[in-house]
Amino acid sequence: MENYTLTIGWLYPDLMSTYGDRGNVITLQKRCEWRGISIKILPITPETTNHELSTINLLFGGGSQDREQEIVMRDLKSKSDSIHKLIEHNIPSLFVCGSPQLMGKFYEPSEGKRIEGLGIFDMETRHPGPTDDRLIGNVVAKVNWENLQLESSQLKVKSSLIVGFENHGGRTTLGLNAKPFATVIVGNGNNGEDKTEGVVYKNAIGCYFHGPLLPKNPHIADFLISKALEVKYEKSIELSPLDDSLEIQAHNSIVKKLGVRI
Amino acid sequence: MKSLSSLLAGKFTNAVIKEFNLGSGSTWPGHVALKVNPQFLKDFLKNKKLNIVLVVGTNGKTTTSKLLRHILEENGHRVFQNEEGANLVNGITTSIIRNTNKLGRISYDTAIFEVDENNLPHILKQITPTAIVFLNLFRDQLDRYGEVHTIAQKWKKALVTLPKSTTIILNADDPEIRYLEKNIEGKTYYFSIPDTYFSKKEITHDTDSTHCPECGTKLRFSKIAYSHLGKYTCTKCGFTNETIKEKIDTFVPTVLSGTYNIYNLQAAIKTAQEIFDLPIEKIHTSLQTFTPAFGRQELIEYKKRNILMLLSKNPAGFNQSLSVIADKDKKSTVLLALNDRIPDGRDVSWIWDVDTDELITNASRIIITGDRAYDMGLRIKYSFADQSSKFTDAVIIKEKTNDAINELIKNTKDGETVYILPTYSAMLELRKILTGKEIL
Repeated sequence: MENYTLTIGWLYPDLMSTYGDRGNVITLQKRCEWRGISIKILPITPETTNHELSTINLLFGGGSQDREQEIVMRDLKSKSDSIHKLIEHNIPSLFVCGSPQLMGKFYEPSEGKRIEGLGIFDMETRHPGPTDDRLIGNVVAKVNWENLQLESSQLKVKSSLIVGFENHGGRTTLGLNAKPFATVIVGNGNNGEDKTEGVVYKNAIGCYFHGPLLPKNPHIADFLISKALEVKYEKSIELSPLDDSLEIQAHNSIVKKLGVRI
Repeated sequence: MKSLSSLLAGKFTNAVIKEFNLGSGSTWPGHVALKVNPQFLKDFLKNKKLNIVLVVGTNGKTTTSKLLRHILEENGHRVFQNEEGANLVNGITTSIIRNTNKLGRISYDTAIFEVDENNLPHILKQITPTAIVFLNLFRDQLDRYGEVHTIAQKWKKALVTLPKSTTIILNADDPEIRYLEKNIEGKTYYFSIPDTYFSKKEITHDTDSTHCPECGTKLRFSKIAYSHLGKYTCTKCGFTNETIKEKIDTFVPTVLSGTYNIYNLQAAIKTAQEIFDLPIEKIHTSLQTFTPAFGRQELIEYKKRNILMLLSKNPAGFNQSLSVIADKDKKSTVLLALNDRIPDGRDVSWIWDVDTDELITNASRIIITGDRAYDMGLRIKYSFADQSSKFTDAVIIKEKTNDAINELIKNTKDGETVYILPTYSAMLELRKILTGKEIL
């Protein structure tokens, strides 16, 4: 696949990389490079121009600590139009950990003012208060492939599940125009109540799993790469197969650990 | 009187636990004493002539405490410590109960307590220490400790309540630690490391405090030791450590390597000098007989291999262990052991913040084990440039610890030095097999 190149935009690597988030970028990069697809990583910083943003073929955002989130949000406002444009143009995107909250309608912290998001996802997040428990632990969920406009049969790695670790204080409710990314089997998901996990809009995925979602879920990584190629080259491009035996072992070991039958 | 009945209740519990071999002995006596009198520590320590030194920070607590204890004992002090891992209020109380006789007398002049990051504020409500040593603050077990700034905030609030008599010893090179000075009434000392150890050119990925704690601007680093430890200045508000001038000692005992241990050493030396008034020559002499704490650069001989155990439980610590190996051995055999039990943190995401490039260039064989062996396997796999046979040739994954140790022996020769990088619970498990003894 030597003739293909992709640019991955990474939202504020300095400020939004709380706990292993870069595992996602490494996974996307390696799975492209192993297939001969050239990768350019564009770190998005306050200095990044709107023109540079328009060259992005795949967008990623991780989590941030509270203080950094304020700095991020101030700058992100000035880039809102460009990011909306990317998403509307079907650019595949992955937001994990705290970043989906920034892409939703708003986030209400336990103390202090409501933080307005970019409004890409129709969802609202509220922190129930400092005395309420954070939702922490391993998670297994079933992917809603129908919401992702992709037949799972197109993927090389066959699993309808995703595994990961969640750690969030905020509770998210999806609006009528939002579709959940997955349905929780073990764990809490968006709010600990309605079994939804994450959100999907066009090719953008928001997910509460924090840190490295993609290494143990290579099918999600390949979905993002496939879509990035399809949008950029305006045709369906089949990904060459990789040896994913270790990825599958890692994925299955968590599924088994949580007592879910494969 | 109330504190004496608490003490006796605690001592009784201690005796029962010992007699019947009940386990959890390092925290239960304290728990019972505090049930009888919640103010036990406060009441009991009143009018006692005991120097109390608290050691706080993400990495290096055990080594720094052991260094300080060794220096002090070699110079005639009588010192006791809390047991490994018993670093909450219960554990510290237990430690005091065990080292006190039935009449309420303590035959020691100094206590050194390692304190859990989250628990420092609780402990300061009960204990007014002679000194507190602040080592560093790195991302560690986010699921348990929360964010780095949240911890720093809690510390700041607690420090305001301390009297002038408590002396504070701060790592000048960690911006968030240096910033604690603002909240301190008592005397403050700083430690740093000799110039030659600032060898990193760029800020690595395992950092947390690269922005000014005062105004939020990105700090400019002129020198970097590792992670976010270095010489820094805020170009906006002027917050800096470049102006701190304290004498730095260059002596290093041969059993310690790695920049992180130079910080631990400097912290212990500074405390011995300033709090215990010991002359530097006496400190040097005493350090010549120092041996590392278990699992921290501890050398274990097993089946004719020299095994160097380098506890590696978070990105900053793991990266430092890899630097130690790279300095010593360009064709190393390395065992990585990753568990996700409560003492390790349930979340293993942090392994993706470790920089593994040096490891895959220098190691000729990497053996991986632990509850989360496959996660670590992926971390290593995704360090290789291509999906060639290099990964499968270099890496062996064995979920069971025993199988991994067998591989380690099979792949090395008599007299060879091998390196083990375990998380906490994995270290205990490996050590049990390698030494044939349990620690706790």
